[in-house]
Amino acid sequence: MEKKNKILNVEEIHTFYGESHIIQGLSLFVAENEAVSILGRNGVGKTTTLRSIMGLTPPRSGKITIDGEDTTKLPAHAVSMMGVAYVPAERHIFPGLHVEENLKLAARPGDGDNPWTLERIYDQFPILADRTKQDGSTLSGGEQQMLAIGRALISNPKIIILDEPSQGLSPLLVDAVTECVQNFCVKSGITLMVVEQNYRMALKVASRHYLMGTKGKIAGVATTQELNDNPQIIHDHLSV
Amino acid sequence: MGGALSTSVDITLNSLVLGGVFLIVATGLNIIYGLSRVMNLAHGSLYAIGAYAGYTLTTIGFNYFAAIVIAPVLVAAVGLLLERTIISPMRKRSMVYTLILTYGLMFFLDGLIKQSWGNEPRFVELPAMIKSTIPILGSHYPVFRLVTLFIIAGVMTGLMLFLNKTKIGIILRAASTIPEMVSCLGINMKHVHIGAFVLGCALAGIAGTIAGPLTTIDPLMGHEMLISSFVVIVIGGLGSLRGAVFAALLIGAVQTLAEFFITDLAMVIVYMLMAVILAFMPRGLLGEGRFE
Repeated sequence: MEKKNKILNVEEIHTFYGESHIIQGLSLFVAENEAVSILGRNGVGKTTTLRSIMGLTPPRSGKITIDGEDTTKLPAHAVSMMGVAYVPAERHIFPGLHVEENLKLAARPGDGDNPWTLERIYDQFPILADRTKQDGSTLSGGEQQMLAIGRALISNPKIIILDEPSQGLSPLLVDAVTECVQNFCVKSGITLMVVEQNYRMALKVASRHYLMGTKGKIAGVATTQELNDNPQIIHDHLSV
Repeated sequence: MGGALSTSVDITLNSLVLGGVFLIVATGLNIIYGLSRVMNLAHGSLYAIGAYAGYTLTTIGFNYFAAIVIAPVLVAAVGLLLERTIISPMRKRSMVYTLILTYGLMFFLDGLIKQSWGNEPRFVELPAMIKSTIPILGSHYPVFRLVTLFIIAGVMTGLMLFLNKTKIGIILRAASTIPEMVSCLGINMKHVHIGAFVLGCALAGIAGTIAGPLTTIDPLMGHEMLISSFVVIVIGGLGSLRGAVFAALLIGAVQTLAEFFITDLAMVIVYMLMAVILAFMPRGLLGEGRFE
């Protein structure tokens, strides 16, 4: 296997909420152009892992690097400027801001050869193009997820981190969002990390999967192929 | 009867002027609270400093209109100094800390005002060109009050355009709803906090400067205004800019009417109105809101 540049590297992080020791020595990496998922039950610390990476809940020890640069102690806005786009499970579309303002807020002045522009977002997401002046918070759940992904793309990040993109969506919309992630992130080679409880979706978008066990540790790693061949692995980790 | 008509013209226009001043002060308070959850009890004192700065600038020879521009800039500079030195370090703590801090700051600034300008009231000298009155439906209305009304309309229109059309405005509106997500988009919330505080102080400064000629300038003027603008944002809904517009016009009208008919009870009536509104709408007219 060719050795690729690690866009995200997490080494032995320990993260606390107050005195609760949530993440207890977690390590993982995402290579360039790779799509990776973190699978795990509710409450094992998947979101906390993402918040640690994003600098929202910084780890107390361990090391996080983005494209080789240490970001362990950086606040969220600095991590974002390093090229990390975060799409939280709640989407966090700004109420009172219309669709276009939500997108413009994330856009950065580039050197002109940025692949994602407002025009391209509208081109690829016709749903958003039809609703540019609509209050973002009045969109449906699926549309808000599209807008949240569009808002991540428009910053032209090195890596996109998606937290539970399927959360609260009907099966039909899960398929639509899955397709959207496949088309705009995976196929265009954007490095991606997705956290999911819906392993069917995760298997469709990611090629390598971290299985998160209890005590906020990675219990195993498997490729999509391995998980398809041996569903028992998923069963052991995800079923109750 | 011409007298009744001219009186109602006076009352209407005075209500708008008073309501407009309340609106600018309350909007400044709202912006600071909405973006950084700091309830700035020294806001009235910054308003008073605006009035005194306007007074001093006109006495040392500046044109009144130049003073209206310069004084708010000076108040904004004071705001920047305060934010950087004492407000910012307290921000991570609970709201009670900044409440106590700004309460102390209010007395400090009031003392500074008394030290610098004394206790006796001051009056702003207006330029000759706006000293006259203009006949409107039988009333002889002071021109400078109309000019003040236009300035208030201009300031609020400018603020709305700023919040709705500029990137900084969009950032401020977003930050009043989900600040954490604003950080995740690469925007330093520390800068947003500074910007909001300075903008809020500038608005207090503008209001103070234009209110100077409307009333007498004295060291207690800030306290009255702080309480009035509290009433406005409580009635309008904490953090709601749109609610503040209704509430400011309402309080301006009620206070003007009450002062006209029953001078001494004016503020009592304002508080009774607030009590009645809150009894039925505990979150204010438009509820806890955001900037729009």
